[in-house]
Amino acid sequence: MASQGAHDTEETVEGEVTISTSPVRFPGAWLSGENGAKKWVFYLPVIFMILFFVVPLGLTYVWSVFERTAFWMKPGFTMFSYINFFTSARLDNFLYSMFHSAIAVAIAFVLGFPIAVFVRRRITEVAQHRVILLFILPFMVSEIIRIFALRPLLQRNGLVNSVLINLRLIDEPITVILYTPTGVVIGEVLSFLPFIVFAGFLAMEAVPKYIFEICQDLGAGFWRTFFDVILPLAAPGIFAGSVFIFVNGLGVALLPNILGGPGAVNAGLIATQAISALDYPLAMAVSAIMMSTLLLLLYIGHRLFDLTRILSPIS
Amino acid sequence: MLDEYGNIIFHRLKWTYLLLIVAALMSPVFYVIYISFNEFGFGAGRYAFTLEWYGTIFSDNLLMGALRWTLLLAVITTLITVPMGLLAAKFYKNTRYKVATVAILLSPLFVPSDILGSALLVYFKNLNKAMESLSDMLGNEWFYGWFELGFMTAIIGLIIYTLPYIFIIILITMARYRDQQTEAARACGASGWRAFWDVEFPQIRPGVGAACAFAVILTFNEYTRTNLLKGGFDTFTTVLISQLLNEGMSEQSYAMSSMVSFVAIAVIGAIIFYTFIRAERLEREARAKAAPLMAE
Repeated sequence: MASQGAHDTEETVEGEVTISTSPVRFPGAWLSGENGAKKWVFYLPVIFMILFFVVPLGLTYVWSVFERTAFWMKPGFTMFSYINFFTSARLDNFLYSMFHSAIAVAIAFVLGFPIAVFVRRRITEVAQHRVILLFILPFMVSEIIRIFALRPLLQRNGLVNSVLINLRLIDEPITVILYTPTGVVIGEVLSFLPFIVFAGFLAMEAVPKYIFEICQDLGAGFWRTFFDVILPLAAPGIFAGSVFIFVNGLGVALLPNILGGPGAVNAGLIATQAISALDYPLAMAVSAIMMSTLLLLLYIGHRLFDLTRILSPIS
Repeated sequence: MLDEYGNIIFHRLKWTYLLLIVAALMSPVFYVIYISFNEFGFGAGRYAFTLEWYGTIFSDNLLMGALRWTLLLAVITTLITVPMGLLAAKFYKNTRYKVATVAILLSPLFVPSDILGSALLVYFKNLNKAMESLSDMLGNEWFYGWFELGFMTAIIGLIIYTLPYIFIIILITMARYRDQQTEAARACGASGWRAFWDVEFPQIRPGVGAACAFAVILTFNEYTRTNLLKGGFDTFTTVLISQLLNEGMSEQSYAMSSMVSFVAIAVIGAIIFYTFIRAERLEREARAKAAPLMAE
């Protein structure tokens, strides 16, 4: 990664060589690359993903209209699970968790994206990847540990409150930051912030350093540069990162389970609660609704920004 | 490091901000480590440094059993995922349907764990029932219990979880490899496998190593999918959560958590450090090679 700069300079020289050697077919050539994609073994990962990822998620739509039995479900067609979802407090919870998730996305963007811009703009190319790697460190510690440790940090007599009281910034301990939706938002931001940094970093690949210089030379101010130049160029990556955080905020049951109070319920928690209540069709309906939300968001994003642009650095 | 428009004080402030954010993200971990050294455990008014809890981890049967299962899961997931990541990266390089391939391989990142976990749970239960009725039709018991919730289903869930990350890491590593080298090896008469193993693999080895470390750590830390799909046994994270939501965590669990965090941070730290040194060496070599040319 880091030495890419060194290679890039040579690439232009060897470009001609690549063109002149059209793929030569060798007998029994597999794993070497030239006609490898034709061998069945290379299809394994994709087949595996289709079998155990695409098919199960697609079938959630079918199972969500099955009829519920005492311990399982039986084939049929009923909208009972959807009616159950849309006419109970579950819908309110779902909409609330969407709202909180959106707030978490906004906070994570404001905190994290400037880091990506800073790293791309001010740090030499060789060092950039190393700085970004710093954000892998928290990600490498179990999500469980990072989330449950927020309890002793944020609770009434926890670290945050005692520090603030000792600094005489507050008189009463703050209680709204744990076992409330606010606590869930804090947990979401802390858990998913690295992803907006990574996504922003990838997105900023589309904004070369000289663009900043051009903006400066042409006299564009800071905000103008940001909104009219950086944001449109980096939009696909930012969008992908934001959707990631938004959907995970909706779907990770652990966050409201550990940090949220009675009111904090998201789609993931509704689904897992339905599973433990043996109401499988309802769980599948929630999954189907989540999948539809995700696909809708990705579709809108693709229409607006052409998400395939994100892939240009790795192709 | 600085371009001519940069202001040194602002630059330092931004660095400080960056490091503060990393520290804030790490703060819960440091707090757990801090608690694990307290003789009186969590929530006590007093604090006295001790290593006692680390010693007692190994006599805690629940934790040790969970640890054994977790390690087994991690090793087997890694052994399957990393070769699959290699195959997937190779497939991606050669296929015409790049966007579709990437979409399928990376989309598990975007599906929340609980949603995928529940979908897989119901899928496995249905598969199991379908296989059983197939067996009944054939009049034997060959297909009984293939997808019974247990070790194998947990492994499948974990592969779905880790493969996207591994795929990206290997793809990034492979981007630096130039295919002409393989062609040269092939022209010299090497078989396809030999060209891969003797020419390409040594060059992408650091990336593959990093991918292995990633897979182990990700598996170790995974909770939701494992919990939904594991069937009977306990893993490290499921023990933690059940303690947390029920009777409260034991001191041993705190010690265990911090030990696991230590190991993960040390491994990733070592990888980052190694890549730093390697990058610097490569850079130096490149500069040494370029220098005589520039002199002309």
